[in-house]
Amino acid sequence: MSHLRSLDWRRGAIALAAAGLATSCTWEPRRGEPAEEKELVVTIEPRIPLLATYPCSSCHATRTPQPERHPLKEFHAVRTFDFSHGDDTFWCYQCHSIRNLDQLVTATGALVSFDEAQKLCTSCHGDKLDDWKRGMHGLIVGEWNGPRTKLSCPACHNPHHPRYPTIEPEKMPETIKPMTPFGAK
Amino acid sequence: MNGCHTEPEAAGALPLPDARAGQLVELRRKGETSRRDLLAGAAAAAATATAAAGCDITSVDQFLQKHYSELTDEDKKQIFARLEAQVKERSGVTVKISDPQPIEGVTFGYALNLSICNGNRRCVEACARENNLPNHPEEMRYIRVLEVPNGAFELEKSDPYFEGEVPKSGKYYLPVQCHQCANPPCVRQCPCEATWKEPDGLIVVDYDWCIGCRYCQAACPYHARRFNYGAPTIEPDRINPNQAYLSNRIRPVGVIEKCTFCLQRTRVGRFPACLEACPTGARKFGDLNDPNGELRKILATKRVYVLKEDLGTIPHFFYFFA
Repeated sequence: MSHLRSLDWRRGAIALAAAGLATSCTWEPRRGEPAEEKELVVTIEPRIPLLATYPCSSCHATRTPQPERHPLKEFHAVRTFDFSHGDDTFWCYQCHSIRNLDQLVTATGALVSFDEAQKLCTSCHGDKLDDWKRGMHGLIVGEWNGPRTKLSCPACHNPHHPRYPTIEPEKMPETIKPMTPFGAK
Repeated sequence: MNGCHTEPEAAGALPLPDARAGQLVELRRKGETSRRDLLAGAAAAAATATAAAGCDITSVDQFLQKHYSELTDEDKKQIFARLEAQVKERSGVTVKISDPQPIEGVTFGYALNLSICNGNRRCVEACARENNLPNHPEEMRYIRVLEVPNGAFELEKSDPYFEGEVPKSGKYYLPVQCHQCANPPCVRQCPCEATWKEPDGLIVVDYDWCIGCRYCQAACPYHARRFNYGAPTIEPDRINPNQAYLSNRIRPVGVIEKCTFCLQRTRVGRFPACLEACPTGARKFGDLNDPNGELRKILATKRVYVLKEDLGTIPHFFYFFA
C-alpha cells in the first residue's frame, strides 16, 4: 500500500517537472550556463570626478594655445610632470583638443570626453582595445558573475608617462621554508 | 534491541564481536575492493540474511544505522556556533562562520598574465589578511611570488624572497598558489579523506578531520600547502570576521591549510582577495564553464601554459602572455 502511494507521488512529480520544462525551455539558459550572463552590467569608471584641476578651460579660456613645442610655464611648470610618451613629435595637442581644452581629440579630429579616454588611447594602441573590451586586460572591480566596473586606461597608466612605475614589493616572511628545491634559497 | 541484530550463525568461527563484521570479512575475501561497494554488498547480504527474520533492511544508511549520516543544517549550525564561541573566547573578536555551497554548473578558474605581473606582492599580503593567516609562531603566506631570470624555466633558479623595487630588469615574476587541480595528487594521498575536490573544482580541507600527517604537502608539486607547526595566533585587529568553514576560519594547531580561491567570497559572487588587491590587473578569475567569460576568451586567444604540465595534474590555474 505504501509502495503504491509513493509511486503515485513520483508520477505526480514527473508530470510537474515535465510541465515546468515545457514552459521554461523557451527562455531559460542551458544547464551549466550561468543565468546571470544576460544581466551582466559592465560600467566604465568615470575619470572626470578624479581630475583635480578639471575643467582645463577655467585657466585656458584666458590663454592663447601654442601649437608648437615649447618649455612649459605657470601651472604646468610648477607641477612638473615627466613627459615620456611617444617621441619628440608629441605635443599637448596630439591628445588634447586645441579647439576645446575640456575635451580630448583623436588623430582623426574626433572629440572624446575625458571619461572615455580609452577611445583616444586605443586609436593608437588598438591591440589592447580588444583585450580590454573582453576583460582580458585591465582592472575590473565588482563581482565575477554580477555587476562590475571596468577601469579605463588612465586609471593605471599615467597618460604622460604610461609605463607602469616600479614599486616597492610587500615583504615576504623568511619563515616560509620550501620543502622542495623549487624556489629554495 | 530488535530482531535485526540477532544473526547467530553468520559469523562462523571468527571471534568477531558482531555478525555483520563476519559478513564484511567474507565479502572482502570474495574480492570486493571498494569500501563503498563493500558496505553496499554487506547491506544487501544483511537484507537477504535477515529477510527470514522479518526485517526489511534495504539501504546502506539503514544498515549502518545512520552512524555515517551527513550533518544536517542544525548540526552545522551547532558546529559553527561552537567555533565562533571559540574565537570569541580566545581573541575577543565576534566572527561569523558560514558554509557557502558550490554554485551549480560553475567551475572556478584563474588566469594570470605574466606579461603584466611586476612582483609587487600586494596579492600575497591581501590573501594573508583575508584568509586569517597566522603571523605567529610562523608567518604564513599562501602565495609565493617567484623572481625568475628571463628565459629560465628552472624554478630552482628562482627567488621567492626578493627585495627592492620591482620589476627588476632581466627578471620575470611567477606567483604560485594552489592550482586547484582537476587531478589533485594531494587529495589522493590523504589517508583520512580530510581533503577533497568540491563540485566547483576547489580543493578544500576540513581542519577538524585533518590529522596533520602532511602527506598532501609532500605530494603537491606546486608547494601550495602550509602546515601549522604551532598554535596559530593572529592579532585581534587582523582577524577577518567573514569566515567560512572550509576556507578562512581560524585553524587549530597541527593541520594543513591552503588557498581555496577565497571561497567565502567567490561562492557569493565576489572576486578573490588577491585579484582585488592586484594593482596591475594581471589576475583574472571566473567560471571556466561560461563560454562568454574572460577565462574562456583568454584560453582561446592567448598563449597559455600551466605549471608542470607533464605531471598530469590538470590545474585550473593558467598563466598567459598578453
